Amino acid sequence: MTRWLSQLRAAFHSIVHRRGAERELDDEMRYHLQLEIEAQRNAGLIEKSKEECRDQRQGRLLSEFLRDLRYAGRALRRRPGSATLAISIVAVGIGANTAVFSVVNGVLLKSLPYPDSNQIVVVRTVAVKTGEINPLVALANFWDWRAQSTSFEAMATYRSGEAPVTPGDTAEYARHANVDVQLFRVFKIEPLIGRTFGPEDLIPDSSQPVAMISHAYWQSRYGGDRGILQRTIRVGSGLRQIVGVMPPGFQFPNRTDVWTPETNRTASRTSHNRLAVARLKSGVTPESANAELNIIAARLSKQYPDSNEGRGVSVARLQDQLVGDVRLMLYLMWGAVGLVLLIACANTATLLLANAAARTREIAVRTALGASRRRIIRQLVTESLLLAIVAGTAGIALAYLGLQVLVALTPADVVRLTDTHIDGRVLGFTLVVSVLTSLVFGLVPAFHASKIDLADAVKNGARATAGGRTIRARAVLVVAEIALAVVLVTGAGLLVKSLVALQNVDLGFKPGHVLIMKATGVRSQAENNAFFAQLLPRVAAMPGVLAVGATSIPPGDLTLSGDGTYHIDRVPEVRDLDREPHALFSIVAPGVFDALGIPLTRGRDFDDRDTADSSLVAMVNEALVRKSLGGQDPIGRTIFCSWDRKDGMTIVGVVGDARQRSPGLEPMPECYMPYRQHGYNSNTLNVVARTDGDPMTLAPSVRRAAAEIAPEVPVSFTTMEATIAKRMEEPTFRALLFLVLAGIAGCLAMAGVYGVVAHAVEQRSKEICLRIALGASRTAVLRMMLGRGVVLATVGTALGLVGAFGATRFLATMLFEVQPLDAPVYLAVVVLLGVVTVIASYVPARRAAVLSPVELLKTD
Amino acid sequence: MSKPTDLVQGTLDLLILKILALEPLHGWAIAQRIRQMSRDVLQVGQSALYPALHKLERQGFLKSQWDLSDTNRRVKYYTLTRAGRKAVADEAANWERLSAAISSIVRAV
Repeated sequence: MTRWLSQLRAAFHSIVHRRGAERELDDEMRYHLQLEIEAQRNAGLIEKSKEECRDQRQGRLLSEFLRDLRYAGRALRRRPGSATLAISIVAVGIGANTAVFSVVNGVLLKSLPYPDSNQIVVVRTVAVKTGEINPLVALANFWDWRAQSTSFEAMATYRSGEAPVTPGDTAEYARHANVDVQLFRVFKIEPLIGRTFGPEDLIPDSSQPVAMISHAYWQSRYGGDRGILQRTIRVGSGLRQIVGVMPPGFQFPNRTDVWTPETNRTASRTSHNRLAVARLKSGVTPESANAELNIIAARLSKQYPDSNEGRGVSVARLQDQLVGDVRLMLYLMWGAVGLVLLIACANTATLLLANAAARTREIAVRTALGASRRRIIRQLVTESLLLAIVAGTAGIALAYLGLQVLVALTPADVVRLTDTHIDGRVLGFTLVVSVLTSLVFGLVPAFHASKIDLADAVKNGARATAGGRTIRARAVLVVAEIALAVVLVTGAGLLVKSLVALQNVDLGFKPGHVLIMKATGVRSQAENNAFFAQLLPRVAAMPGVLAVGATSIPPGDLTLSGDGTYHIDRVPEVRDLDREPHALFSIVAPGVFDALGIPLTRGRDFDDRDTADSSLVAMVNEALVRKSLGGQDPIGRTIFCSWDRKDGMTIVGVVGDARQRSPGLEPMPECYMPYRQHGYNSNTLNVVARTDGDPMTLAPSVRRAAAEIAPEVPVSFTTMEATIAKRMEEPTFRALLFLVLAGIAGCLAMAGVYGVVAHAVEQRSKEICLRIALGASRTAVLRMMLGRGVVLATVGTALGLVGAFGATRFLATMLFEVQPLDAPVYLAVVVLLGVVTVIASYVPARRAAVLSPVELLKTD
Repeated sequence: MSKPTDLVQGTLDLLILKILALEPLHGWAIAQRIRQMSRDVLQVGQSALYPALHKLERQGFLKSQWDLSDTNRRVKYYTLTRAGRKAVADEAANWERLSAAISSIVRAV
């Protein structure tokens, strides 16, 4: 007991009275020395013993650390040039990592801003045999799932898109969602004003139709009017009573501004056209809910084999589903900036190694004065830690700027990007990265410095002793830098080549000079058809217009989609619906193929004979003919599409294949139908006009013409080129990002090569002078020094290529018409790095070649 | 072979404790006493002595206090604690056992 107490007292004493203890120790030693003065003359022994005594004292770590820190600060200030360089290199590395981590944090790691958001799941259809997931569900199946399951607090379907809305006098498009009344219970969100939808809104025809609006829409369109519940809004053709305003921030799904309740009573098991979300009861996992729903689905398959055979259900967390596509890209970004940081570390390590070499004499003196090897290492690591912390702070500033750029450049459809901020978790990440970084780049030079041979160092100073080992260590680091840079440059090469291929792909249509105007009729089908029938000739007559038509899906626009199965010359049965073969369906107005530049290969285009009263006709593309008709003449055959009309349509024409969905996706079978023969789906059409100049200059006159014909029709304008550019955003962003990172990596690696060769030239200047004096030609000297850089580059590139073989696999899904092991890209990388390395080594090597033997005489 | 003056690891602790069991002393005197008592065979340097003293103090076997020496200088005196007294007995017994064991081997071979 007393022993513990006295131990505690000693520890306490040494912490509290550190300075006093130091003085006492000093006194004690001094006295001893005085007495021993005859026997012990060596003053160094005092320091050594003191150091060892300090080791026995509690609380010494902190005090030593503070001392080291002060010393480190002085050491960094003493060589501001290299310290600034090292700090900037590491700051770039840490900054890039922090910026990317904040995106990863915001998009992947933070939970969704809803209460208990982990309990919110998506419910999807899945093909039992292949495991292929279709995010859409059929209403009748969904209702059975909901009625028979016990895992959920609430389940809701929804579909969303742009809808014509008239909040006041002018028609416009607004983000609109038609949702099941349970949707708001799934998210546990209460309205800011008024109420959400309830059962009373489902009674057909007996009550006023209702709508809810978002906080943002309430502010921007109604100026935050408190009497909003007395107002109505026209959504589509119907006037609706506004019953509620949602709180700020709630805009599910997809930045919705206007919600209307789902009132559909007639349901199909084959039309998969709704998305579904649900809230799990607390304690229920997605897996067990999945199991329960699949038991129900299996029962439904037996009950309705025609429509439901082989169909299961797949439940997944909403968050995972939302970020699904983005995840790979973000991890890839993270990996890439991680490599850059590693290179920055290697670079800084070589820099510190050079410094350590230059400080050989200083370290030798400290060792002679009694500092142990461990102390020297600790001192040097503290220096790197200080360096890394300063760099980390600068990195956060860089990250703040980088983040603005990153968010601005990232494709707009990356979800939750607005949640990206530098928060506590990000700062913690930066701190950890800084400390780890300092260890990575600090330990190697520290170990090297601590192994200095004392006598040699004191005698000869930096030049002689830094010698072989340090140079070898630097060479290893530079090889590592080159290898990492090769991986990044190869990745960038593949992505750029893929982007170029994507930009040069034959789209099957001509995107230049095409104006697109989206318009939605809100009256009867006849009136809506009449609107387009009147508008199209007026646009065609405008000066500068070469061709005009209209289509429900302009190429590259993913927000509108119509697709399903088709059959030739055969009325499909229920079991055929919603299965193979699959085609895209478009509603078009005559002239659209001319306007888009899609060639007519057989038969005729639609024309004014194809009206609501004439026999049903359709056009198909070559891909459909290849797939289902095996080269037979398609004209006159009958096609049945499982879409808005079950009747057969006579094929009257064939057009060329177009990359309708995205430049990166192969054309698929397509079926075109004339707008007058298809009701609901012809309400919204995109007028496409090919012009001889800048298409946007045409927009005002087209808008005027549309307003003259029907002022209640909302219109919005874009161009074909802008639509395609949107599809190119992501690959462009990826390629650009990799290009920038590869550039940084390459520059750092080349700086490393330069440093090693320059260092070697300096070290061997005596030898070189001697060689020149003895008659070696300057070319021979140049070649000798160049050789160093070339050897480093060769080894580094070889290792890097091995790394790239492994790493570029992760790019496979992002590459278009380029394989991850594309030989020309690899070859180009090798040649590029070879040339750059030679240049990086040539500059210092030339300095060796122009050395004069006279220098030798001067220095020694 | 090691020099005769080298101390077996750990025996210095025993020597210090043993000497302090007689009377409180300051560091230099302890070293002197060890040398005298071993007839100049064992010589303890500053670099071994003070770490050992500080360690023993930290372990609670010794306590120290500052006092005036014969020559009127401030000197740190080390005194055995109760735990220290107990340790002397234990360490001495240990040493006896160890040295007897070593001797029997050394003589036998």
